[in-house]
Amino acid sequence: MSEKFDISNIAKLASVSLSDDEKQKLSSDLSVILEHVQALSNLELDTNIKNVYIHPLEKELVLDEDIEKPSLTHDEALSNAPKASDGKFIVPPSLE
Amino acid sequence: MELLNLSIRELNKLFVNKKAKPSELYSEIFDRSASSEAALHAHLSLFEEINLEKAKNSDERFSNSENVGLLDGIPLAIKDNINIKNEKTTCSSKMLSNFISPYNATVISKLDTEQAIYTGKTNLDEFAMGSSTENSAFGLTRNPWNTDYVPGGSSGGSAASVASRSSIAALGSDTGGSIRQPASFCGLVGFKPTYGTVSRYGLVAFASSLDQIGPISKSVDDARIIYSSISGHDSLDSTSINDEQIDLPFDKNATIGIVKELMEDGISEESKKEVDKVIDILKQKEYNIKEVSLPLIKLSISIYYLIAPAECSANLARFDGVRYGLRVDGKTSYEMMENTRAEGFGDEVKRRILLGTYALSAGYYDEYYGKALRARKKMVDEFSSIFKECDYLISPTTPTEAFKAGEKTSNPLEMYMSDLCTIPANLAGLPAISIPTGLSSNNLPLGVQIMSKPLTDNSLLNFSEMLEKELDFNRTPEGWSK
Repeated sequence: MSEKFDISNIAKLASVSLSDDEKQKLSSDLSVILEHVQALSNLELDTNIKNVYIHPLEKELVLDEDIEKPSLTHDEALSNAPKASDGKFIVPPSLE
Repeated sequence: MELLNLSIRELNKLFVNKKAKPSELYSEIFDRSASSEAALHAHLSLFEEINLEKAKNSDERFSNSENVGLLDGIPLAIKDNINIKNEKTTCSSKMLSNFISPYNATVISKLDTEQAIYTGKTNLDEFAMGSSTENSAFGLTRNPWNTDYVPGGSSGGSAASVASRSSIAALGSDTGGSIRQPASFCGLVGFKPTYGTVSRYGLVAFASSLDQIGPISKSVDDARIIYSSISGHDSLDSTSINDEQIDLPFDKNATIGIVKELMEDGISEESKKEVDKVIDILKQKEYNIKEVSLPLIKLSISIYYLIAPAECSANLARFDGVRYGLRVDGKTSYEMMENTRAEGFGDEVKRRILLGTYALSAGYYDEYYGKALRARKKMVDEFSSIFKECDYLISPTTPTEAFKAGEKTSNPLEMYMSDLCTIPANLAGLPAISIPTGLSSNNLPLGVQIMSKPLTDNSLLNFSEMLEKELDFNRTPEGWSK
């Protein structure tokens, strides 16, 4: 397993800005944790398994029928919005 | 009358026989929870007015002999990652400090049907990530048995609330031991049901394939009553199951396995002695006992700390400052999201999001997450094979007694190791319970964990109740018994 990683790139992928101190501390923590999980690298595992279930009881996820049902009202859905206007969420522009 | 130490069934009997009223109990509970806050900080919010009203409605029903069941008028504390409509759900995070839920979690709708009453919302490690309740953005919770020590986590507020008799029982959530470990640290029963038997709808997701809601209580019977109320299929949760329970023997015809790997290095002598105490009881009662080996348990922390952070990084992507929660401004949407998440999340949450993002990133997916999923599958197979020989598996719940506040905060891996015994049941979706067994030389509670195969929750509770009676651990932390 690889041990090297670029903390700035991971933070960018995770959409979290980090201070230099945080980058240093988190790099060190992640190195220790990744070293610990190296234990899995020696494990012989069946790579031919086609379906590795996410459900621990190996059940298929059941989706609801696509039928309209009572749900949150428009106002309820917007009730916790940091910024909303005219029934819409307001966000800063995507480009400067 | 001493109502706070009674079980749900005992309280119900008093209400039915008109020897006590739910409103009297609620007033006692509210006084206790308010007065315990300074010493313990078990709660993030306490509800008074609405619930006193609800308790008075319960009074009426009992007075007219119209009560709806065992939970009518029973005050329960709710972990603050479970939504109650029109109340705050903060997950102990700055990200959600002002979030008011517009809907009820399914477990709350079910408890509402039974007319249960809520005392308040309890403290937790931020987004349920931690083992000590020290990761809360709103201050740590302390252990009622000794306030220098942690109550465990992440459902530490729920455990401290029940142990200090500030609620009759509580709901917690368990992703890697977050119900069982704090229950053990606080001398209580903590039950994590089979994955899928209790709806996760309205539980703020941490790691969706591992999270499960369950009770923390003073007795196995209280846990049973709550489990019976909150379980059942729910179409609002795609992982909810509708399978029948399977019966196991719980008398001396049952075979008990002692998990070898959880009685070795890393487990304190005191924790092992509690298992030995249980073995002696079972031997006297002529149960079949054998040592069993599950070698992959030794790798469970490694498997867990790839799967849980990977799922967490995906689940917590929703906190982007757009639809709810904190927003920290930025010139662009992207900058706003980065600033919001930098300010809103605490250190442990950031650590896990970054670890999960890395494990899922291009080029590393198969190496980390894919491998962890396959290892998990192998562990599930290992458990299935052991459950052909054994009905119940016994181990310590925790490697040690509760640790001191601040003792493990600087070393994340050491903190993670405190969940060594509890994580395997989450990875395999098993029902697992912690019951209190005795006190350590430091006068802190210890417990044992019992696991069984999926969908044998009711039998596991029956077996645990038999042990509970034999162990006769009936202690309240000093200062909170009256």
